[in-house]
Amino acid sequence: MGLIENLLIGFETAASAQNLAYCFVGVFLGTFIGVLPGVGPLAAVAMLLPVSFYLPPETALVMLAGVYYGAEYGGSIAAILLNIPGTPSASVSCIDGYPMARAGRAGVALTLTAVASLFGGLFGVVVIVALAPRLAEFALLFGPWEYFAVMVLGLIAASIVSSSGALRGVMMVCLGILLGTVGLDITSGVVRYSGGTQELRDGVGLVVVAMGVFGIAEVMASARTNRPSYAGENVGLRKLLPGRADWGRFTGPAVRGSLVGSFVGTLPGTGQTVASFLGYALEKRVSRRPEDFGTGVVEGLVVPESANNAAAQTAFIPTLTLGIPGSTTMALMLGALMVHGIDPGPRMLSQHPELFWGLVVSFVFGNLFLLILNIPLIGLWVRVLRVPHHFLYPAVVLLICVGVYSIANSMFDVWLALAFGFLGYILRLWRYEPAPMLIGFVLGPMMEEYFRRAMLLSRGDATSFLERPGSATLLVAALALLLWSAVPRGTWSRLLTRGFAPKR
Amino acid sequence: MPTKSTTAFRLISGISAATLATSVAMPALSQEDWPSDPVSIIVSFPPGGASDLVARLLAAELGEALDAQFVVENRPGAGGTVAATALMEAAPDGHTLMLSNLTPFDVAPTLFPDTPYDPIEDFTHVSYIGGVYLGLFAAPSLEVETFEGLMELVRANPGSVDYGTSGVGSWGHIVSETFKSLTGTDMVHIPYQGSGPMRQDLRADVVDLTFDAVPQNLPLVEEGVAVPLVVMAPERLETLPDTPTMVEAGHDLVAENWLGISAPAGLDPAIAETLDETLADVMAEPEVSAQFDEWGIVRREMTGEEFSAYVAEQFDVWAERIAASGAQ
Repeated sequence: MGLIENLLIGFETAASAQNLAYCFVGVFLGTFIGVLPGVGPLAAVAMLLPVSFYLPPETALVMLAGVYYGAEYGGSIAAILLNIPGTPSASVSCIDGYPMARAGRAGVALTLTAVASLFGGLFGVVVIVALAPRLAEFALLFGPWEYFAVMVLGLIAASIVSSSGALRGVMMVCLGILLGTVGLDITSGVVRYSGGTQELRDGVGLVVVAMGVFGIAEVMASARTNRPSYAGENVGLRKLLPGRADWGRFTGPAVRGSLVGSFVGTLPGTGQTVASFLGYALEKRVSRRPEDFGTGVVEGLVVPESANNAAAQTAFIPTLTLGIPGSTTMALMLGALMVHGIDPGPRMLSQHPELFWGLVVSFVFGNLFLLILNIPLIGLWVRVLRVPHHFLYPAVVLLICVGVYSIANSMFDVWLALAFGFLGYILRLWRYEPAPMLIGFVLGPMMEEYFRRAMLLSRGDATSFLERPGSATLLVAALALLLWSAVPRGTWSRLLTRGFAPKR
Repeated sequence: MPTKSTTAFRLISGISAATLATSVAMPALSQEDWPSDPVSIIVSFPPGGASDLVARLLAAELGEALDAQFVVENRPGAGGTVAATALMEAAPDGHTLMLSNLTPFDVAPTLFPDTPYDPIEDFTHVSYIGGVYLGLFAAPSLEVETFEGLMELVRANPGSVDYGTSGVGSWGHIVSETFKSLTGTDMVHIPYQGSGPMRQDLRADVVDLTFDAVPQNLPLVEEGVAVPLVVMAPERLETLPDTPTMVEAGHDLVAENWLGISAPAGLDPAIAETLDETLADVMAEPEVSAQFDEWGIVRREMTGEEFSAYVAEQFDVWAERIAASGAQ
């Protein structure tokens, strides 16, 4: 079946009044849930799952998917306005988004976020349409060797994210890796650093760490500094619109972010958090003004936003075409399909084309809905800043507690998030940034798992990493990135233009 | 399909009613009052998995049959022991139940000596629901079609074939060790974190074999990316009629991940009886039983006492396997 035909089938499904309506409901709920710190798409999809049993499968999927990628839009709103990421993947948006808001450009930052998200989302859809049948095979080319190489690349990139110096960045990455070792070691079955508790046997959850070091710590820091609110800021329309200089810095970063996000999204288990970190780190390297990152530059916001939304779309490829959910939220969506007797897998494309292509076309509608929904709301969101902090912050803490609790119905996780809040606060006092720690926490355990699995499969032969073309290429790229960041700026261009001739 | 949509409708009506309910714990006075409050069914897995779907279906059906609210409560973690611990600590008034399974009751207490409960003494095992069996699957690239073919290959090349399981200490891992010692073979264990990533690697020819639950592999078999070699069931499975059992191959190796309903110790026998009878009625409904068939869950008749004895008997079987495997 041709591509046009597939898209027509998809359009027919997605453009039905019922599916359009549920798509809107999905992205609408997703945005609001994404804004609330700690309450992520997982909780929202879990709550809506029973409702979806009542709907036809394609409608159910369109709605649940809308919640999922809608939350990526919403997650960055709180990150920009309050320095508290609504979802873990929005942590990166704090780095440059919050300084923009503090400089009185909250409206501009939110508009750019919405447009970058739309760009990334649509880019991801184009990637799916162009490559979907083959992308499934692509994911199968990735064995543990290649995954390990991607993780190495990611960790090197992560240490560059830090704007408080490379050494501090590397230290925080290492701390994150150490935190990630808590719990059952997958390869040996030994329980590490659990303190003998049942609760820590599976390690520490990502949301627990992210909400602690970003959310709770921010609330504590603001209570200490008692910084003035933004009351009196003009939120007229002109203040919302980015200027020509802002748009000039939009396209390149948006394309690069979308490319990184689309690629990372197709790898099961890596997801949007890795996509936004990797995109940010790479952008900082190619930028002509890396020293300004972290002070509120447009690129620093556009890249992670386009990356995480592109990844949110392409993450559906492994889920639907291989039947392998990359996250618990995706597992829930597979559950919604299984209730209807549909087995996700390579045959889904041929057996249920209306479902797959209908979903893909609904992404386009959903992303447009999100833009239409978000632009008028920006003025409202900015007004949140006028809420006195002694009302706003207790509410934020409450939401974080509810969100963290809802993940596993565990009170222990709530206390743990508060403990991570203290850790984040202390780190902040000493000017250590939590972002590289979070990425080390996500990637470190995965890197270990894939490394040890690859070594087991190749019977202890480490050269297997260089023999496989995929992993060899990625490892060379990682080495190049390391050298590039280790050598002072300008050295390479000087060498290229003047050769090794001595300076005059 | 009218039957399916009815099931779905019951599912939604039951669950949405349950979601609205608040769980105010009040002691039940006698079995006539049961259930006087919403009943929560603890599930030891995160939402979305096969067990979670079973619990949600049963919650809706039981809720309708008993005219009460049944709520699914996901308490994942530590091989199901977090959920079982929560069940042990709950009041035995019939308002806290668990969708029990093999791991927290018959495997984890042996594997983790600090498990805070006794899997038999601290619980009332009310009803057996059904089970799934373990199978051995090969990647087509291994070019092995039968159990005998595999034995030939492995014996000729010790240590060259590798196999995946869903983790160290998982039932697949424990059985694989028993399998190797029964057949006198040498294969390399590749542990995964759950069976999803393992199936991806089987599909991608990264790993040669997998010890995995049968139902989730049926689509892969149909697609031709997994070859079923043998199943660890007492007799051939309806879903894989051409695949022999280990018993046929001359080895006494059966591995069932059973599903049941359990309650804290000291549950009023009258409540247990009501629950067991209602569950049997629910399971006998054609659309429910069709759904269980579709999920590949094999059922057989078992009374409450037989189920309790089965859990205890399986505990000994697995303890012996774990001791011999060195997984402890």
